Amino acid sequence: MLRANAITKRFGRTLALDAVDFQALPGEIHALVGENGAGKTTLMNVLAGSLAADHGEAILDGLPLQAGSPRAALAAGIAAVHQSPMLFERMTWEENLALGGFDTGTGALDLDAIAARARSLGAKLGFEMPPDGATVENRSVAERVRLEVLRALSFNPRVLILDEPTSVLAPSQLAPFLDLLRNLRGEGRIVVLITHKLAEAIAVADRITVLRRGRVVARTTPAETSEENLAGLMIGELVAEPAPAATPSHSGAPVLQIEDLTLDDHTGRRILDRLSFRVAAGEIVGIAGVDGNGQTELVELLAGARQPSSGKIKLLDGSPGATMAVIPQNRDLDGLILDMRLWENLILARRLREQVTSHGWLNASHAIDLCRELIDRFRIRAPGPETTAGALSGGNRQRLEVARAIASRPKVIVAHNICRGLDLAATAEVHRTMLDFAFGPGRGAVLLISSDLDELLAICGRLLIISRGKIRETDPGERDPQRLGLLMAGARD
Amino acid sequence: MLSSIAKPFAALALAAALISIVLAALGASPLGVFAALGEGAFGSWYACVDTVVKSTPLVFTGLAVALAFSGALWNIGADGQLTIGAIAAGAIGPHLGNFPHPIAIAGILAAGCLGGAVWGGLAGWLRARRDVNEVISTIMLNFVAVQALSWVVHGPLMEPSRAYPTSSPIARAAQLEFYFAPSRINLGMLLAVVLAAVCYLLLFRTGAGFELRAMGRNRRAATFFGVRIPALTFWVMTLSGALAGLGGAVQVSAISHRLYEKLSPGWGFEAIAVALVARLNPLGIIPAAILFGALDNGSQAMQRTQGVSPELVQVIQGLVILIILAFDTPAWSAVREQIFGATGAAAAVPPVAEMPDA
Amino acid sequence: MLEAFLISSITMATPILLAALGELLVEESGVINIGIEGAMLAGAFAALAIAYFSGSTALGLGGGVAAGVAINAIFAVLVVNLAVNQVVTGTAVSILALGLTGVFYRKLFGVTGKAFMVAPIAKIPLGPLARIPLLGPVLFNHNALVYFTFILAPALWYVIAHTRYGLRLRACGERPEAADALGLGVIAIRWQALVVSGAMTGLAGAFLTLAYAGTFVENISAGRGFVALSVVIVGRWNSWGLVAASVLFGAAMALQFGLQALGTIVPYQLFLALPYALTLVVLAGFGGQAAAPSALGEPYRRD
Repeated sequence: MLRANAITKRFGRTLALDAVDFQALPGEIHALVGENGAGKTTLMNVLAGSLAADHGEAILDGLPLQAGSPRAALAAGIAAVHQSPMLFERMTWEENLALGGFDTGTGALDLDAIAARARSLGAKLGFEMPPDGATVENRSVAERVRLEVLRALSFNPRVLILDEPTSVLAPSQLAPFLDLLRNLRGEGRIVVLITHKLAEAIAVADRITVLRRGRVVARTTPAETSEENLAGLMIGELVAEPAPAATPSHSGAPVLQIEDLTLDDHTGRRILDRLSFRVAAGEIVGIAGVDGNGQTELVELLAGARQPSSGKIKLLDGSPGATMAVIPQNRDLDGLILDMRLWENLILARRLREQVTSHGWLNASHAIDLCRELIDRFRIRAPGPETTAGALSGGNRQRLEVARAIASRPKVIVAHNICRGLDLAATAEVHRTMLDFAFGPGRGAVLLISSDLDELLAICGRLLIISRGKIRETDPGERDPQRLGLLMAGARD
Repeated sequence: MLSSIAKPFAALALAAALISIVLAALGASPLGVFAALGEGAFGSWYACVDTVVKSTPLVFTGLAVALAFSGALWNIGADGQLTIGAIAAGAIGPHLGNFPHPIAIAGILAAGCLGGAVWGGLAGWLRARRDVNEVISTIMLNFVAVQALSWVVHGPLMEPSRAYPTSSPIARAAQLEFYFAPSRINLGMLLAVVLAAVCYLLLFRTGAGFELRAMGRNRRAATFFGVRIPALTFWVMTLSGALAGLGGAVQVSAISHRLYEKLSPGWGFEAIAVALVARLNPLGIIPAAILFGALDNGSQAMQRTQGVSPELVQVIQGLVILIILAFDTPAWSAVREQIFGATGAAAAVPPVAEMPDA
Repeated sequence: MLEAFLISSITMATPILLAALGELLVEESGVINIGIEGAMLAGAFAALAIAYFSGSTALGLGGGVAAGVAINAIFAVLVVNLAVNQVVTGTAVSILALGLTGVFYRKLFGVTGKAFMVAPIAKIPLGPLARIPLLGPVLFNHNALVYFTFILAPALWYVIAHTRYGLRLRACGERPEAADALGLGVIAIRWQALVVSGAMTGLAGAFLTLAYAGTFVENISAGRGFVALSVVIVGRWNSWGLVAASVLFGAAMALQFGLQALGTIVPYQLFLALPYALTLVVLAGFGGQAAAPSALGEPYRRD
C-alpha cells in the first residue's frame, strides 16, 4: 500500500500542498483529479522523489520513503511518467531505455540485450517500437509517451504514477491506453492516474481522490459520483455565469491572412505544411489540435519569434499601425519576464512601448500610469505597478497578459491554450473578454489555438483542425466532439 | 538602494578576510599590506591622481562589459577590443602631426573606437548570424589581438631605428595633454565620466536599452515581442567593442604615446570584476573602477614595502567576482531565508502547471 | 629538421590534449569550464615547487594533480552546487589562479625570477619501435606522460560512448532534469567529472614545468588552457577529433618557434594565432555549436 501522510509543500508564497493524505492499494487504479494548479503534479513529484516535501512523509508497504531522492523512490519501486516527456532527445531510444531498468547494472553495457528486453515488453503491451538506433529527436509525441511508459515499467515498479498521459494522445489511442492500465492493475501493481479528464477517471479508476488548491476535498468511487459531481468538487463553487454560446459570425473583412505558411526545422523535418487560412474582423476562429502538432511553432511564427521557411503572414488592415497581439502558451517563460516589474512587462508589447517613447526616449512615469490604469480596469490583484511579475499568482499573471494584449489595441489577438491552468471562473472571465473584443465595437479578430475542444466549441464561430502540421477547415455545422476528435487524430474524411 | 550598495561592500569585506588568510600563509602582514595599498593609492596628491589615471581604462572597459552583460552577452573580449583600438590609434597617431589639435584628438579617438567596434562587431556578427557562442569567440579574438599587437610592433609599425619593439610615437597634436603637471590628469578622464552617464541614460531611459535588458533577462520572451535579437546582439557587441577600443585609444593618446607588447595588463578581465561590483549599473562603474584602480596603483607600493608581488591584486579581483556570484544566487537566498525568515519577495517559481490562483 | 619539428609537435600537443580530454568529460556532463587555464597554471606551479623543494618528481606530479583538483573544486562549488553563471565563474577562477601562482612564485623563488630548474622527466624509448626511421623517434621516444595521454584518448572515447558511466554522463549534459528524475545524481556526476578533469589538467600543467620547460615562468601556460577549449570544439566533442586537433595546434605552436629562429617573411605570430583563428572558422563555418551537448553551459539547480 502506498500512503502519503500530511504532505505539505510550499513554493515561495504559494502553498502547493496543504497537509495532503493519500492512499492507494495494490491491484487498483487510483485516479487523482483536480484542476491545473490543484497540486497533482507536485504530489507526484514528492512521491517519486524529485521533490522533498516540507512536512509529512510517504510510506510504501510500511517502509518510509527517503524524501527528495528519485533513486530511493525507484529502488523502493515507484516509477513515474511525467507530463512533459523526460527523454534524452539526441540519444537513441535504446540508450534512453538503458538508463531505465532494462540494464542489469553490472558487467559491460549491452545495448542489444536491452533493446531485446524492451522489444519483448513492448510486444506484450502492443507497442510498436522505433527502428533500430533511431534517436528520440524525430519520434512522434505518442511514441515518446510509449517509450517513457516502457522505461518506467522497466523498473518493474510496485507503483506506477502517470501524469496526464492521455493529454497528448489522440482520441483513438485512448482506449488501448486505458486497457494497458487495466492490465497493469491486473498484475497487482498500484496505478495512480493523474488527470483532469473526468470521463477517463470514471471509466477506468477504482477510486478517485479530488484535489483542490492543494487540499484533498473528496475521496470517492466511480459508482458514487458523476462527471458533474466531480467537476463541482474540483472547482468548489458554481460558475458565476456560463460563457455565452458563440454567436454566428457575420464577420467583416479578413484581417489576418496566412498563405502557404511552411516551416522546416534545422534537420529538414517539415513542421508546418502550407498552412492557408484567414481570420476576419468580428470573428473568433479556433484551431483545435492535440499538443505537439505544430501549434507552438505557428504561434512563434505569428509572434515573429521565428521566420517561416516559406509562405506569408499578412495583416490585411490598411490602417497604419495594425498589429497582432500574441499570448503564448507558456506564460511564465515566454509571455512575461518574471523578474521585471509589471509596468516593464507591460511595455514589452511594442505598441505600448511606442506609446510611452518619444524619439527613442522612454518615459517611465507615463508607463507606470498606464500600468496603474490597466490594473484597475482588468482587476489585477497586485500591490502596484512596481511589483515584480513573479510575485503575482498565476491567474493574475494571465490577467496581466490579457490586459496587455487588449491595451495595445491590436487588430488580431492570437491566444494559445489561454485558459490552461485557470479555474472555471477565471476561464469564463477570459472568454468574456475575448468575446467583447471580437463582437464589441472594436470588431477585433481572435485566433484561438487550443487543445480543449469544449472551450473551442463554446466560443468559436469557425473551427480549424491542425494535425501533423497541416490545417483543414471543418464544415460550419460540424460540432460533434467525437468526430472532431477523430479529425484531430489525423483521420482522413 | 541601500541593499544594492551593501552587497558589494559585504563581498569586498569577505574578500579582504580571505586575502588576509592568503597573506598570512605567505608570511606577510595583512594589516601591513592593506595599509601599503591604501598609502600607495591615496597617500599623496600625486598618488590620488595616479589612481584616477589607472582607473580610466577600467571605466571604458567596465562600461563595455556592463552593457554587454546587461544583454546576457558575455563579452570576455574587452581586452582584445581595447588592444585593437589601441593599435588603430597607434597606427594613425604618428601621422596626425599636421592637423589642429582638436581634430587630431578626434581622429585618434575615432580610430580607437572604430578598431574596437570592428573587433566587438565581429564577435557580435558571429553570434547573430552563425550562432557562435560569444564567450568562445571573444576569448579567441583576445589572443588574436595579442598576436596582432606583437606583429605590428615587431613589423609594420615598428619605430624607425628598429632598436626596440615599439611603434613610432604619436604626433604631439594627437596627445591628450596633462593638466596640473606633473600630474597626469587628462581629458580622457572627463570623457570616461561623460560616457558613463550616457551609457546609463541609454540603458535605462531609452527604448533600445529596455529591449537590451529584456533580452538579457529572458531572451526567448523578448523574441515574442518583436525584439530583433540578431540586430540587437550585433549592435551591442559593436558598441561594447567601441567603448573598449576608445579606452585603448585614450591610453595611447594620453599615457603611453606609442604601442608596445602587453599594453593591457588585463584591463578587460579586471573590467568583469568592476562591472559586477557596479552591479552592471553604468553610474556604479565609476566608483568601482576607482576601487580597482586604487588596488592597481597601491600594489606597487605594496611590493616595495611589504615584498608581496602585485599579482595579489589579481587574486583580489578573482575572489571578488567569485564572492559576488556566490552570494547572488537563489541558493543563497534560500539559505538566507532559513536564517532570517522568509521575506515574501518574489521567490522560487513553481512548475508552470502548478500555479493555483490567489 | 622535419624530425625535430614532428617531435616538437607531439610534445606541444600533449598537455593540450590532456587538458582537452578532461574538458571533454566536463562538457559532456553539461558544464563549460573556462577556468581550465587556471587549473593548468596552478598545476604547473605546484608541480615545480613541490618537485624542487622535495627533490622528487613523483611528488611534484602529485602536487600538480592536487592543485588542478583544488582549482576545479572551487569552480565546482559555485557552478554545480550553487548553479552560478559558468562563464563568469570560470574567468574569475583563471584570474584567481594567475594571481595566486604569481604571488606564491615570487614569495618562494624571490623577485629575481632566477630560473629554478629541475631535471625534466626522462624519455622512455620503446625498444625497437624507437629505431624506425622518422616514425620511431617521433612516436615512440617520449616520456611516460606523452604515452599516457595518447593512450588515454581512445580509452576515454570508449568510456564515453560505450559504457554505462559514459551514458549517464551524457544524460547529464543532455537534460539534467530528466537525469535527476531517473536517480542518476547530476550533481555528483558533474563533481566527479570536474575532479577527474582537474587531475588531468593539473597533470597537463605539471607536464609543462616538469617535462617541457624544467622551470616555471609567470603565466607559463600562456593560453594553452583556452587552446584546450578550442580543441574540444574543433574536435567536435569526439576523442579522435580531439587528438587530431591537438596535434594540429601543437604543430602550429612548434612551427612558430622554427619560424622565429629563421626570421622568415611569414610572421611567427600568425602561427601562434592559428589555433584561435581556426576555432572561429570551424565554429562559424561548420555549425560547430550544434555538436555540443544540449544543456552545455546552462546552470542547473534541483528544486
